[in-house]
Amino acid sequence: MSAVTPLEHARAGLDSCVHCGFCLQACPTYLALEDENDSPRGRLVLMRAVLDGRVAIDDADVATHLSRCLGCRGCESACPSGVPYGHLLEAAREQLAAVRPLPLVARVILWVFARKPVLRVALWFGRMARDTGIAAELARLPGALGFPFAMLASTAREPARPWTPRAAPTRATVATLDGCVMEGLFTDVNRATERVLAENGYALCAAPGQQCCGALHVHAGDAASARTLARANIAAFEASGAEFVASNSAGCGAMMKEYGQLLADEPQWRDRARAFSAKVRDASELLAAAGPRAGATVPRRITYDAPCHLEHAQKAGGPALQVLAAIPGLEHTVLDDRDQCCGSAGIFNLIEPNVSELVLSAKMRCIAATQAPMVATGNPGCLMQIGAGLVRDGRGAVARHPIELLDESYARQER
Amino acid sequence: MTLAASLRAIVGDTHVLERAAELLVYESDGLPGYHRTPSLAVFPANADEALAVVRTLASAGVPYVPRGAGTGLSGGALADGAVLLGLHRLKKIIAIDPERRVARVEPGVVNVSLTKAATKFGLHYAPDPSSQTACTLGGNLAENAGGPHCLKYGVTLNHVVAAKVALPDGTVVELNADDSGYDLLGAFVGSEGCFGTALELTVKLTPNPERVVTLLADFTSIDDAAQTVSAIIAAGILPAALEMMDRATVGAVEASIYAAGYPTDAAAVLLVEVDGAAAGLDEDVQGVDRICRAHGARDVRIATEPAARAKLWQGRKKAFGAMGRLAPHLVVQDAVVPRTKLPSLLAQISAIGAANGVQVCNVFHAGDGNLHPNIPYNANDRDEADRVHHAMVAIMQACIDAGGTITGEHGVGLDKLRYMDALFTADTLDGMCRLRDVFDPDRRANPGKVVPIRYCRERRPNTQMAEGGRRMADATGGQL
Repeated sequence: MSAVTPLEHARAGLDSCVHCGFCLQACPTYLALEDENDSPRGRLVLMRAVLDGRVAIDDADVATHLSRCLGCRGCESACPSGVPYGHLLEAAREQLAAVRPLPLVARVILWVFARKPVLRVALWFGRMARDTGIAAELARLPGALGFPFAMLASTAREPARPWTPRAAPTRATVATLDGCVMEGLFTDVNRATERVLAENGYALCAAPGQQCCGALHVHAGDAASARTLARANIAAFEASGAEFVASNSAGCGAMMKEYGQLLADEPQWRDRARAFSAKVRDASELLAAAGPRAGATVPRRITYDAPCHLEHAQKAGGPALQVLAAIPGLEHTVLDDRDQCCGSAGIFNLIEPNVSELVLSAKMRCIAATQAPMVATGNPGCLMQIGAGLVRDGRGAVARHPIELLDESYARQER
Repeated sequence: MTLAASLRAIVGDTHVLERAAELLVYESDGLPGYHRTPSLAVFPANADEALAVVRTLASAGVPYVPRGAGTGLSGGALADGAVLLGLHRLKKIIAIDPERRVARVEPGVVNVSLTKAATKFGLHYAPDPSSQTACTLGGNLAENAGGPHCLKYGVTLNHVVAAKVALPDGTVVELNADDSGYDLLGAFVGSEGCFGTALELTVKLTPNPERVVTLLADFTSIDDAAQTVSAIIAAGILPAALEMMDRATVGAVEASIYAAGYPTDAAAVLLVEVDGAAAGLDEDVQGVDRICRAHGARDVRIATEPAARAKLWQGRKKAFGAMGRLAPHLVVQDAVVPRTKLPSLLAQISAIGAANGVQVCNVFHAGDGNLHPNIPYNANDRDEADRVHHAMVAIMQACIDAGGTITGEHGVGLDKLRYMDALFTADTLDGMCRLRDVFDPDRRANPGKVVPIRYCRERRPNTQMAEGGRRMADATGGQL
């Protein structure tokens, strides 16, 4: 490693901020906490002050406000100057993590996610708690105590109706990222994703040896673990021979699209990482490129919440809406502020539960106003965060992945 | 009890900031060339808390600076050792009365939020500063903010009906446009936080026009574009907005996420909007199109669909922010000249830029002669910073010589103090001070702004104030 700190490395990005403040209203934590230190502009000022030696990176206030950022990158979608906020935040957190250990909860979670066998066991316990109804019971515990159980309970599903894709594989070859939480708690959504991709002409290939994408690690400042995971994934997907790498998790997709930057300083990996990132697509992008083919009518009223890592990080918000629009019979009420974060932000809701709850309550008010019994959103974190909010508000509404709706549409045609 | 403790008792622990790191972001507004450190920052949640804060500051005799969203471009919301009074938490739209077409709002309501809330009644709030997605109505009131559509619809002053104001001594007064006698509301609008703090505003809402058409004309010469501006007005057409952007500005916008499809090889583009009743609007559209082409426009694009029009406007409104990609620092300027002098002024600005070796980016409200020459530069390069400073002073002098003035909508604040005596006599400036004394005899509200302190006769200011004022005067007497 050179002596250059991660923030110094990213200085040019910091310089492009002109302090115009257009990011303020795009920032969920600024709107909830009403202090500019909890806004993108404020955090950039803090980062610059660290760079200029005016404050130390481990100053208690600096650490607090950097930690309270959701990393939703909604500010990037508002910034005329193109400040690469997400990367600056990661750099600042990497610098912070070097001098100030992460909270214990975060360290445990990151440790588990970097070790697949351990993660499998943890998720097995999660499924047990969910399927026995224990999670639903414990979800009634007050405040932050019951919230994780509400998240778990919200992942329960009726089994999907069985159907078999019949389309000929006329399109590209695709390997899907299983994802940690997706495969562990949303197993049916993963199978549905494979079915609908096949039904739209994609040929699926297996990619054994794939790992966690590393997003949780890099967001928390543990770039080293993220790089290890990235190298394993690049090797695994290269070996699959697939033309595209698809993810139904917006956060994982965003991370993999940024492997090129993550490994930019590693000469032996740089080009491979860039080539890999160029192949990554959100599943909705592949489906929208293929139409997608219309199925049977799905008579449901829904609203849609855009995952931040699809809308702001991948800047690919359109295809998911195209997928929903292609499903006959769906009645879609537009959600106010649908491009604002729900407060999930990876493991943010577990390590900053109070801020997360404030952000979620703003989202829940908008959802309630639509009166829709179903919220569609394409990311496991958002599904569980909004899902938990819905479990707890007791109106009986549920959160579902857009792909589940497309799958239902094809399944209904089968009968 | 310390001042901070008294304020915490009013607004709660988390809404008073005292520690150095947390005050850093409040050192600047939208013009980060200036940094001033407040002694502490306090953020009341509602009008009652805000009034209690003002009264506490009054009894302590402490100077304070009101701040909205900190998007101002004249350093007006900077507090040099004073208390920073943030009003951004007062963000409630109290009531919209579609019959009377007025809204009652708290001062921290973001400009565009009011228009968003009024849409369902077919109404909007007309003054639309380019920062409208971030700036607050209270800040707009303090600066008498303008915006592209003020050409036809008027500035903030023309849209404020009443204000409930906390004077610096803690007295509450209601200023109403309908009051007989002197127009005190008129005096208050644009007083840059020096006359007190609005706790509540009543503003006019404007019916959405039946039809709107936006035209984009591109020119291979800046002079042709500037001549066109006067020709359109001279032809008797009053566009809703008439904006100009030069090549450097267009380049910055087109490189951003707000790329609007402006031609990057044009020397200048004009963005012209006409609106009103559907009947007869086509005549105006054809008139503008004809005049543009007659003055050398290479192409005129006409947008009628809301999405296409919004895209054209987004590019214009985010242009200032987009300049961040050109250099690490940016000077934003604001001056007004008689519209007919635009062609010669733009030529002078270009010559001044060339003589000082700096790049001037022009993006402005051409229809009302309100220039915004902006210069991207690197402040760490001492020589370049000096050249930028010289260029700006020369540009402002050229505007004054042309019969113009030193601010159209950004306010004087801190940044333009140095030009005040080029424009006004000592007697006039003293008159301004005396008007201020009516509202704030102790000169505790936003001290050291608008009128250079040396022009104000001493009138028993308390010690703390005199010190603050001197410090401010020293700090602003020098360079950028």
